[in-house]
Amino acid sequence: MTIESKIREDSLGKILKKIPEQTERLKSIRETYLTDAVLLGEIPSPTFGEEERIRLALDRFRENGLDDPEIDEFGNASGILPGAEGGSSILVMAHADSVFSAETRHVLNVGSDSITGPGIADNAIGLAAVVGLPKLLDQLGVKLKDDLLLLANVQSLGRGNLEGARSFLETKQRPIRAGICVEGATQGRLSYSGLGTLRGEITLRIPSNYDWNSFGASGAISHLTRFINQVMEIPVPKEPKTKMIFGGLRCGSTFNTSPRRGSLRFEITSEDDAVLNDMEKQVSELCEQFSLETGTSVDLEVVAKRENCGIPFSHPLVKTTRSIMNEAGISPNVDPSTGDLNALILAGHPGVTVGLTTVENLREENETIQLPPLYAGLAQLVSLLQAIDLGLCE
Amino acid sequence: MTTKNKEKWLARNTFHHGEFWDIIKLVKEKEKKGMSISLCIPTLNEEKTIGKEVLILRSELMERYPLVDEFAVIDSGSSDKTLEVAKNYGADVYLASDILPEVGDKRGKGENLWKAIHQLKGDVICYVDADISNIHPRFVYGLVAPLIKQEEVQYVKAFYDRPLNYSSGLRSSGGGRVTEILIRPLFSLFYPELTNVIQPLSGEYAARREVLEVIPFPIGYGVETSHLLDLYEKFGLDAFAQTDLDRRVHRNQTTNALGKMSFGILQTFFNRLHAQGKIDQMPDMETFYRRFEVEDGVYSQLIQEVIEEERPPMIEIEGYRKRVLPT
Repeated sequence: MTIESKIREDSLGKILKKIPEQTERLKSIRETYLTDAVLLGEIPSPTFGEEERIRLALDRFRENGLDDPEIDEFGNASGILPGAEGGSSILVMAHADSVFSAETRHVLNVGSDSITGPGIADNAIGLAAVVGLPKLLDQLGVKLKDDLLLLANVQSLGRGNLEGARSFLETKQRPIRAGICVEGATQGRLSYSGLGTLRGEITLRIPSNYDWNSFGASGAISHLTRFINQVMEIPVPKEPKTKMIFGGLRCGSTFNTSPRRGSLRFEITSEDDAVLNDMEKQVSELCEQFSLETGTSVDLEVVAKRENCGIPFSHPLVKTTRSIMNEAGISPNVDPSTGDLNALILAGHPGVTVGLTTVENLREENETIQLPPLYAGLAQLVSLLQAIDLGLCE
Repeated sequence: MTTKNKEKWLARNTFHHGEFWDIIKLVKEKEKKGMSISLCIPTLNEEKTIGKEVLILRSELMERYPLVDEFAVIDSGSSDKTLEVAKNYGADVYLASDILPEVGDKRGKGENLWKAIHQLKGDVICYVDADISNIHPRFVYGLVAPLIKQEEVQYVKAFYDRPLNYSSGLRSSGGGRVTEILIRPLFSLFYPELTNVIQPLSGEYAARREVLEVIPFPIGYGVETSHLLDLYEKFGLDAFAQTDLDRRVHRNQTTNALGKMSFGILQTFFNRLHAQGKIDQMPDMETFYRRFEVEDGVYSQLIQEVIEEERPPMIEIEGYRKRVLPT
């Protein structure tokens, strides 16, 4: 062992040793971030409609004493906690958008050991951890050498296609040492790679001059069913790992009227960009073929597309994160990300995504986070920041 | 009070919580005046909402901004986990029956509010109901701010948005069903000045100790009504202020429950009429019905004359008698 690696090991050892104490301390000051989670979570924040939640995040950045709190031209809120040296920055980010529409009743219930309500796990609690970090670090007596760049990013989910994070990273010209994406769900999550992803929406329309005699008296539902069966015939390779998910189907509104329009939402993920491109081509050709054969109009809209990216499993950032998780009593669950981590890594910054606590009913209106595991989840985040700050993740 | 004076009172004593967003400034003014503020939540089986209320109000108004000096939950003997949850998030929790045991124990919200005066030490006591789903710090700072800023104000009531008429761009700013059907007509008849109070039954209000300690407290449904009537009798309308706290989300009550509530309120109301000699020497009743509307943030009172004319029994009408009675 070299002297340098011995020093690194000792430094990490000191950080790990403090995790139990930090976990307890984070429990005793939980009101600060739980309040933020509830206040942020009760503001509806659908993708492309995050303004009000972002305004509150900005207020908190301001109240927590960050330098340069601002909302950029894309709608992201950010601020800087200056470090003692400030030569470089550590980026900590959480997406501010939620899968729930503005019409959903955003009321959270706070129990002794849990909080329940739409979007609390994905991602109000993650966002609360980011906006509350300056106060938490202060209360834990943690001072960083690096600047801490905090980001509440918009347009992450669905059609948002990571646009908020991507635009921020393209325009924010700061030396970023590493980044951490914070998600409420689920504790143990360790993502260090972004999975190649294609999200698309296929819309089938029956034209007004449709010849019902030639093509049979079937409406959009029958056509869409046949079309989906044909999509399912496209081979999905096991190696490289590839997956196709049908996530949403919309068609028709009543009992006795054949609908003229229907749509299918799907996602393909693959560890190989070439497979992704090939499957996109096959789906696209199928749309064309089906249109011609049935006299319908079938169109594919690619809503989001990302290429594979990542840092190696052996990267010091990943290795250190695993050590911290183990010490905090968290079992790492390696899972490639389809979220903001892609934007971070594709922008050239090493990064990981971590989850804060255990969750039930994810993305349902009774989404619930458990509070007892949350304190260790936050201690993991603080320790990881300290490790990055000491240069242990390079 | 003339129409002009009423408008002046409305303009001077009606606020929106947004006017008090700068809580740091409020804290400084409070400290400069040497005031202390106690917050009381009366409870009975409120485990679903109490956790959030204690968490948010304590965290924002005691830890982040020290506006509130004391925070207590006073409970009527809940059988659910209300006390456990409230304690868990740091509230001081009391059983109403343990406070002033020598005066006995009566069960009702008014009892908890009354005993809070003895238990809590603040110069100002702010009462907030426990069933608010969308609790926010404005529910407290919006109410205590007028007391910090204006010495003549003694009692501040909350009112809320109840949007009913979007299409015309106008929204009714009425109260709940009991307010509209019972209280406003009664006030219009007997206490027209008090119709300036937009939501007389709202469960959130803040008051100075010296006025709370000199009025009786009905134990049940009549407590809000009695506060208005008694303080109005003693100090006049200028002692009151009211703050728009925007929307309040809470559970809806059944018509039966509202009937029971109305019955309790009527008892309180007629007791006051009796005590003030308005039953024995019934004054001429007002014929103007008063309600509110708001347009572009400006509240104005709509006054409508409603004269309940009566017809005599038909048998007294000569034409009728001629038709039906044998000649």
